[in-house]
Amino acid sequence: MYKLATEKLPELLQCWSQGATVYVPQKVGEVTLFRPFKGQGDLALGEGNTLEPPKDLFFPRTEKLYDYWASGKEARLEPVELHPDRAVLVGVRSCDARSFLLLDQVFLTRGYVDEFYKKRRENTAVVALACTQAAPTCFCTSFGIDPGRAEGVDVQMWPVPGGYLLEALTPRGEEMLKQASGLLAPAEGEKIPAPAQPSLQVELEGLVEKLQKMFDHPYWGELSRKCLGCAICTYLCPTCHCFDIDCETIETSGYRFRCWDTCLFAHYTLMAGGRNPRPTRKERLRNRLLHKLQYFVERYGQFACVGCGRCLELCPVNVDITKVIRDVKEVSL
Amino acid sequence: MADVATGNPLVPMPARIVKIVEETPDTKTFYISTDQGKPFTPKPGQCVMLSLLDVGEGMFSVTSQGPDHLEIAIRKVGVLTTALHEAEVGQVVGIRGPYGNGFPVEEMKGKDMLFIAGGIGLAPVRSVINYCIEHREDYGHLWIIYGARTPTDLCFKEDLFNNWPKVENCRVDVTVDRADEKWTGPVGFVPPFVEQLKPSPENRIAIVCGPPIMIKLVLETLAKLGYNDEQIITTLEMRMKCGIGKCGRCNLGSKYICLDGPVFTFAQLKLLPSEY
Ligand code: SF4
Ligand code: SF4
Ligand code: FES
Repeated sequence: MYKLATEKLPELLQCWSQGATVYVPQKVGEVTLFRPFKGQGDLALGEGNTLEPPKDLFFPRTEKLYDYWASGKEARLEPVELHPDRAVLVGVRSCDARSFLLLDQVFLTRGYVDEFYKKRRENTAVVALACTQAAPTCFCTSFGIDPGRAEGVDVQMWPVPGGYLLEALTPRGEEMLKQASGLLAPAEGEKIPAPAQPSLQVELEGLVEKLQKMFDHPYWGELSRKCLGCAICTYLCPTCHCFDIDCETIETSGYRFRCWDTCLFAHYTLMAGGRNPRPTRKERLRNRLLHKLQYFVERYGQFACVGCGRCLELCPVNVDITKVIRDVKEVSL
Repeated sequence: MADVATGNPLVPMPARIVKIVEETPDTKTFYISTDQGKPFTPKPGQCVMLSLLDVGEGMFSVTSQGPDHLEIAIRKVGVLTTALHEAEVGQVVGIRGPYGNGFPVEEMKGKDMLFIAGGIGLAPVRSVINYCIEHREDYGHLWIIYGARTPTDLCFKEDLFNNWPKVENCRVDVTVDRADEKWTGPVGFVPPFVEQLKPSPENRIAIVCGPPIMIKLVLETLAKLGYNDEQIITTLEMRMKCGIGKCGRCNLGSKYICLDGPVFTFAQLKLLPSEY
């Protein structure tokens, strides 16, 4: 365990910037976002969750797959060769760290490996920052997440008076601390601070079993009446992973790309010929919630919600997944 | 294969349309081949992502294959399929796959087979009919019941009226919703036609493909005839993008049709949300 003095933080980020791009929460106007560290900037390491989750580091909102040329009967394509720069993601919260493990399940297992995701993921070191203060919308502990210690990260940091404690959890993390050894002091007698204790809690016992019986329940119709279908909840959700594949052609050349998509949009399941198995917001919002709380559990054995609270906070009409969980437990079948 | 060369399973390999067969006024079968021959060898019932690079990609079932080509029957319904219908022999296309589970040809061994299809629904079924014919000794009696709107809408006429009836221990019954002046065969929808023919459920597996409403009514008919849910197999259709269970698009409950389907027994379907 090592200690870094608060004023040495920029130097630490500078040090890790050698041969890599460091992404760290920074103030951008009114909000906090992960942005590349450029030597200065308004670091916002201690101020709760970023507005957007950092998933776009591994799964960019748009990503080119290949270029093509097509003219008459002839056509050819040139795949994009991805060689992502090394990256260090600093200040990730335990909830978002769990989301990476869930995205790994989607992109790296079940028969096919998503090469672009894999390369970006492998090239990125993750440094977590423990939470000592929960926002009113945080409920990560309900999913067995420890705000004080993230899973699957290279380095864990804790905020302490006058600085940060750092502990390496992987060989890559050890390498990073060695690289920064000039800035770090052994942490003698320092105590790891108590983790945040979110007051918001949900009870998950029996939830999946109840939802399995509720597909046709009128609850979804009632719930979706206020939903605008804006999809803010999916774009800001660290575990939402749906994407579209489309192309852009200008005269005889173009490229095919993928981009984030959401099951809340009407065209998502609209088939050629006009049939749509999820014709209204009821079916679409139900799909999003069941995907988080039932389908993902059935498929991968874990909930696809990490309790980050972003959708609770930012849904313009207050569709609140914690309330949904409470409601579901109460509705009669 | 493209995903070996590039590491990216979403990148297709280039191939060409080497032959086009006009099945009906709105359906054509495209023969697809690469310079190295057949792109890959799908199992009966598996699907492929076929693209016109500058137009779009779509998931289609492979209706048959030869030693060096795949056959894909495509009905004109949207932008991509219209563009494909305008394409000529020699056109370069992109292809990736094969995707999905395919029909359970192992579990079907030793059974009598009943194939019920409507319209373009014969395309996926044809792959498994041909498979059963190629492995004739592994399967019992083959019974094909097929219907389309009019005689001109019947797909794969050569197979229906010439090839399949010649196969040993194989029966073909064809109906049309509306006859024309030349049609002398049965007239009527598929579900009552099946009810009339009364294929017994004894040691038989039924594969049912077609428009959703036909499937629904045929399932009711089969239940009436004494078929249980494990004996009935169907295929599902859903909008698809990745084909590999990542993009989230084609989920039915916790299953992805592209990866875990498109073939399901009716018993499996009953455990999934009725959202198809
Ligand atoms: S953010 Fe709220 S209103 Fe918008 S789609 Fe999600 S649940 Fe509906
Ligand atoms: S569903 Fe809401 S609370 Fe759960 S991980 Fe997604 S954005 Fe966070
Ligand atoms: S098409 Fe992407 S998950 Fe099935």
